[in-house]
Amino acid sequence: MPTPAVPSPSRWRRRFQALVAIAVVLPATLVLWLVGRFGADTPVDYPGPVEHFKYGSTGGEHEMGFPYWIWRALPEVCGHYLPGPGYASLGMLYERNPDGSLKDLPVGTSKRRYQGVDRVFVNCAVCHTSTVRTAPGEPPLLVPGMPAALFNMKAFEEFFFRCAADPKFSKEYLLPEIRRQGGDLDLLDRYLVYPVAIAIMRDRVLALKGRFEWVFEQKDWGPGRVDTFNSAKVIFNFPMAHLDPKEFDAPADFPSIWLQRPRREPRAMELHWDGNNTDMTERNKSAAFGTGVTPPTLDVPRIKRVEDWILEAEPPAFSTLFSIDPALAARGAPIYREYCAACHGASGRDFSGEYVGRVTPLAEIGTDRRRLDSYSETLAVNQATLYAGYPWRFSQFRKTHGYANMPLDGIWLRAPYLHNGSVPSLRDLLEPAAARPAVFWRGNDVFDPVKVGFVSDQPEENGQKFFRFDTSVAGNGNGGHEGRAYGTALPADDKAALVEFLKTF
Amino acid sequence: MGSAIEQSRAEHRRAWLRAGLLVLALLIVVGAYLGWSRGFREEVQPAWVFESPEMRFKYGSIGAEQDAGIPYWIFYVLPRVFPEKFRRDGQIAPGGYAALGVAWEQGRELPAGFTKKTIGFPRVANNCAACHTTRYRASPDSNPVFVAGGPGHTLNIENFFRLLIDCARDPRFDADILMAEINRVTDLDVIDRLLYRFLVIPITKKRLLEREAQFEWIYRTDFPDWGNGRDDGMNLTKYFLIRAPMDDTFGPADIPAIWNLAKYDAEKGRLPNYAGDTHDVHSVVIDSALGVLGAPPANKAEFLEQVKWLKDYLSTLPPPKYPFPVDAARAAAGKVVFDAHCATCHASERTGTRLPLADVGTDRSRLDTWSRDAAIKANRIVTDMGIQRRGLVEEDLPGYKIPFLDGIWLRAPYLHNGAVPTLRDLLEPAAARPKIFWRGYDVFDAQNVGFITSGDEARRYGTRMDTAEKGSGNQGHEFGTGLPAGDKAALVEYLKTL
Repeated sequence: MPTPAVPSPSRWRRRFQALVAIAVVLPATLVLWLVGRFGADTPVDYPGPVEHFKYGSTGGEHEMGFPYWIWRALPEVCGHYLPGPGYASLGMLYERNPDGSLKDLPVGTSKRRYQGVDRVFVNCAVCHTSTVRTAPGEPPLLVPGMPAALFNMKAFEEFFFRCAADPKFSKEYLLPEIRRQGGDLDLLDRYLVYPVAIAIMRDRVLALKGRFEWVFEQKDWGPGRVDTFNSAKVIFNFPMAHLDPKEFDAPADFPSIWLQRPRREPRAMELHWDGNNTDMTERNKSAAFGTGVTPPTLDVPRIKRVEDWILEAEPPAFSTLFSIDPALAARGAPIYREYCAACHGASGRDFSGEYVGRVTPLAEIGTDRRRLDSYSETLAVNQATLYAGYPWRFSQFRKTHGYANMPLDGIWLRAPYLHNGSVPSLRDLLEPAAARPAVFWRGNDVFDPVKVGFVSDQPEENGQKFFRFDTSVAGNGNGGHEGRAYGTALPADDKAALVEFLKTF
Repeated sequence: MGSAIEQSRAEHRRAWLRAGLLVLALLIVVGAYLGWSRGFREEVQPAWVFESPEMRFKYGSIGAEQDAGIPYWIFYVLPRVFPEKFRRDGQIAPGGYAALGVAWEQGRELPAGFTKKTIGFPRVANNCAACHTTRYRASPDSNPVFVAGGPGHTLNIENFFRLLIDCARDPRFDADILMAEINRVTDLDVIDRLLYRFLVIPITKKRLLEREAQFEWIYRTDFPDWGNGRDDGMNLTKYFLIRAPMDDTFGPADIPAIWNLAKYDAEKGRLPNYAGDTHDVHSVVIDSALGVLGAPPANKAEFLEQVKWLKDYLSTLPPPKYPFPVDAARAAAGKVVFDAHCATCHASERTGTRLPLADVGTDRSRLDTWSRDAAIKANRIVTDMGIQRRGLVEEDLPGYKIPFLDGIWLRAPYLHNGAVPTLRDLLEPAAARPKIFWRGYDVFDAQNVGFITSGDEARRYGTRMDTAEKGSGNQGHEFGTGLPAGDKAALVEYLKTL
């Protein structure tokens, strides 16, 4: 019986194998390679909580991250939009590597590989870390958690928006600068990824520029301040040009963010300058919007690490840099108890007091009202839609009608004072408004241990110009927190004793 | 041997066929389940909605999500994509839905009267509280108080209607643009993304545009805007329920308070609506709810249960007490004035009954928007839905009814068309009443009893009311206008206590 003309199985097997190789294995390999090359979402992590705070990710790079080499090249390509060389001229702080060289990224920025590119954006530390020096020429001490008194956020935002609108924001200018700085882009990066990334980044920044146009119209915030809640309106794409004019020009000092637990327990304080939220996790997630986060891109576990750290983080003691006169401080203690403790807490660590963390009506406190007016009920109700669909949808934002009384932990590093930073030192704050400096300079990190605050009477140091703070400009009013009850009528030696006591906080 | 091969091949084929059919059947079952689950599966609203009758009134679904519902995430991103379409008196107004004067309690995901319910996917629709919740503030430096059942004097309904149509008309109402914004605020799964992109967004656009023809009259340039706190209710019924052709009548009236509805009594001629247009509360709740649903109810029994609950709740809902100090002595003197000059109409057997228009002389536009013929048609349509009610009064009505004055302090501005800002103004002859003012600003004027209607803030948050415009005449009800000033002040003081 003849064998049926069935092709030999081995020949079919070979054909089949070839077919599988062409139809399945090759594309699968390609897909796997593409997934490996572009699919990863890997932030750079740090073991210690302080390093994580300074350089760890909040998730903001997903939506807002600049490809690493673009970030590096921009200050050179768009240097004409910076007040000096590099991001350092905006008050960003560079630490040194163990070998003494400067780190490649400043404090307050994080790095994450996403969609095949290393991306960089800011984190919490950019607004909540700064330096202090005992004298010009002395080395700066970096203090994580203190207000970023040197960081000029308005100039930072304007730099990127201006640069994106500049013809130099293109591969023709950026790629050669990247090569000059030693960026070893591979072929794919050089010819595909970066050219596309540059175009996308430019579009994205320019698309946002419209929403941030109002920033350009604001009086300069100067270093250490941000217009928090007008920025928050941008999340909702409020048509800012049609806002009530009284809501604008509302910059406020960055706060310190150490010792959060006693602000939450035993009693939840009214957080933010106007006390508009009593829920710390909402306050934190709200602040995270400032680092470029959107609800789907928030890096919950990494934010949590920061939240845990700031619960207990302590401010450095005044005595680590300067000495305190114990006798004089002891004389100040009862004065503090009489005049300040009910609103500001029993001490720098004991925040008990009837009015601590509660809002004092504006008519009573009398400080500049612009920050208060910038936070509208209209914004508050809209904020309750944030994180809709997530278990942590915001529900605690409330319009208030005054400013909250803050605990004074580490108060010496929180200068200048009042919510808008309009009073340079604690000693000045104990004068009636009319006797406080009408004009002074912000952005110097040399400390004045007598008045307690940063040196504010020097317009510049070694050619570096400081920010001239004019208290007659809208939003900068230095009135309020004055009168007998606020200690401005005390005799001079009582004031000195009180200031000495505040150094122990 | 050949047949053995044949046989095994046939078995193979059958096995493959069986497997294929099984897979197909599975796909159909899974697909059907997904389609039902993501498109139609109804979820009960969360428990907090039913915590109290007031919460249910403010946030409980009355079934409008079925047809009039807007997919939640579209509703969510509209203010972000179309900020320029949120307007107040023609000016772009920041604040998203808040800019339309909704009664939005701080901390709530949606304003009062905006209900969220999942039917396959989360949807947003309205209930009675959208129009019938009042917000007021004691001073500019205070937070608002919300009163369930009160007139929504801050709400700009006409702009809300226009907004939805204007967005749908805009070429940016497109899956790419809306999805980009939605992906920025939430993390939909693949199925929902596909559903939104290919079905939900296009269908919503289509459904909104279907309303265009019936809403043509709200775009008429020869009619003024309704302004905050008013709606042209009888015309809404005409064009939506009856689908009548557009005519030239225009009669916006104040959104009424709907507390204490037990006061109406058909047997005594005390009928709801400004002209006593409806026989009883049962009917008016049905007709208003049908307006919110925008379609016959999907589940009639459920709908009628809702209606009954609303009727019971609103019948016994007390009017709010005046929250500010009252001068008791002056109020007592005011009661004497009231009894002498007002009680015959406003605290008697006649209260709630109709009065010929000539006797009062107020603006007749609202009266002209409705007719016996319209009432007959509307009644027939509702009857055809299989809903039993006494319904609208099938007569040509002679004038407006005499209103009850319960909670009158919170019902400003006054007269049916809201043409007089405060009670004190109402005690002036028409010629001396404000001719132009701004309505819908929420700071209370305890001096004159009403809301603040002038000044920068009133102009910013209110809408301009010009009493010379069609439907906005402030004439009529010139009673008590000749009283001495002291009597007027006393009378106003007494009215605070009602």
